[in-house]
Amino acid sequence: MNGALGQIYWLLWKDLLLEARRRDNLLSMFFFGLSLLFLFSFAFEISSENVSRMAPGLLWLAFMFSGTLALNQLFQGDRENDCLDALLLAPLDRGAYYLAKVFFNFSLMFLLELFILPLFGILFRLDFWHLLPNVLLYTLLGTLGFSVVGVLFAAVTLRARARALLLPVLLFPLMIPVILATVRTLQIILGAGTAAELVPWFRLLVGFDLIFITAGFLLLEWVLDG
Amino acid sequence: MDNVSKIYGFLWALRDVRLEIGAGEWVGLLGPNGAGKTTLLRVLAALAYPTAGGVELFGQELSYGNSPLRRSVGFLASGAHLYDSLTVSENLRFFVSLYRNDVGADDRATVLNDVGLHEKRDEYVSALSLGMRCRLAIAKWRLVRPRLLLVDEPYGSLDPSGVEVLNRFLESTCAAGGIVVLATHDVPRLLERCTRAVMLDQGRIVFDEPRQDPWHSFHSAFDALLSQDSGGPR
Repeated sequence: MNGALGQIYWLLWKDLLLEARRRDNLLSMFFFGLSLLFLFSFAFEISSENVSRMAPGLLWLAFMFSGTLALNQLFQGDRENDCLDALLLAPLDRGAYYLAKVFFNFSLMFLLELFILPLFGILFRLDFWHLLPNVLLYTLLGTLGFSVVGVLFAAVTLRARARALLLPVLLFPLMIPVILATVRTLQIILGAGTAAELVPWFRLLVGFDLIFITAGFLLLEWVLDG
Repeated sequence: MDNVSKIYGFLWALRDVRLEIGAGEWVGLLGPNGAGKTTLLRVLAALAYPTAGGVELFGQELSYGNSPLRRSVGFLASGAHLYDSLTVSENLRFFVSLYRNDVGADDRATVLNDVGLHEKRDEYVSALSLGMRCRLAIAKWRLVRPRLLLVDEPYGSLDPSGVEVLNRFLESTCAAGGIVVLATHDVPRLLERCTRAVMLDQGRIVFDEPRQDPWHSFHSAFDALLSQDSGGPR
């Protein structure tokens, strides 16, 4: 494989191999997300009439907080032994590096969601299995939105001393459109709205993903080498 | 390098450095701790921006970010730039793939054999000594074959056979028309091989001369620097 595609392949191969050997990201995300869901299910007594309105928001809070944990660790492997310097020294397309990190973060989040979604259904007594393709589609669009913005800001805070604090402070306000759109679409799918109401939220999600993936692709060089 | 200066906060790491290096030269970079050797290497590798001045490599202005010139520059940093949780062969495969896609398993095996790491190819880098990591870095740059090779303090971690492997590689790079810039504190070992010695002190070049046999003027300059550092007249 040549060019940027080959570089994305090798960067993704490296990140997945490191994660498969360490498992620290996935395990911390999984246990944190699970704990949050349990806490939410016990803390809020949600009646069966309200569940389709309340549960998607709680689910996405769990995804977002767990995802932020993963973003904080996203460049950790490359920081060890100054490997980031070795990557920047190489004729590496910075856009390819950004896309590889987005795919990696997206894969971790997707794995987390595969674990969490069934538990979410059980804990909140939601019978949504027949709606799963739609739920997955909007969850994946929202996850992509989270990853494309998250990776860019994880890179911005890469050299900051208080990056664990700085990242959510910068990231969460920008995530409002994604969270709003994903939560609203899930509410509609679970019965709190009509199918026609889905369209504008779907457009918002796709538009957000496209704008930020382009911005991240173009800006990472400036962020890393600047 | 044309009048390059680099400032970190209030510290001048490099001050008005002018340096022109020709093809086939092996430049030994010497100087006390904090003299600016590593900063100079990082500026040449485009890993650090000069605060003032400019750098030209092979007739092209050095730009930052991804540039075609990066294919021609290597940085051999002893013990660094390797992933601990990848094996020796995985590290080699990954890093070389960022530069070239025509390197096969046989090429990698041959190079690992030459640097004495073939038996360790499936071991994690975290299990390697500093000297073995340095040998792995040599293997990586042997496969990449950069035209400008920057080397930072390699001798401290290598055993005599490792030093021989490194020197052979550096000499072959110069023989092929490449440039080697090697920073070290191991003065005798460097003076044995380099074709030019450059000494830095407090970010300035205080000595820059081609190879002499013996290095009389270098030793007088070096002694003068030592006497300054031990509190003599400045």
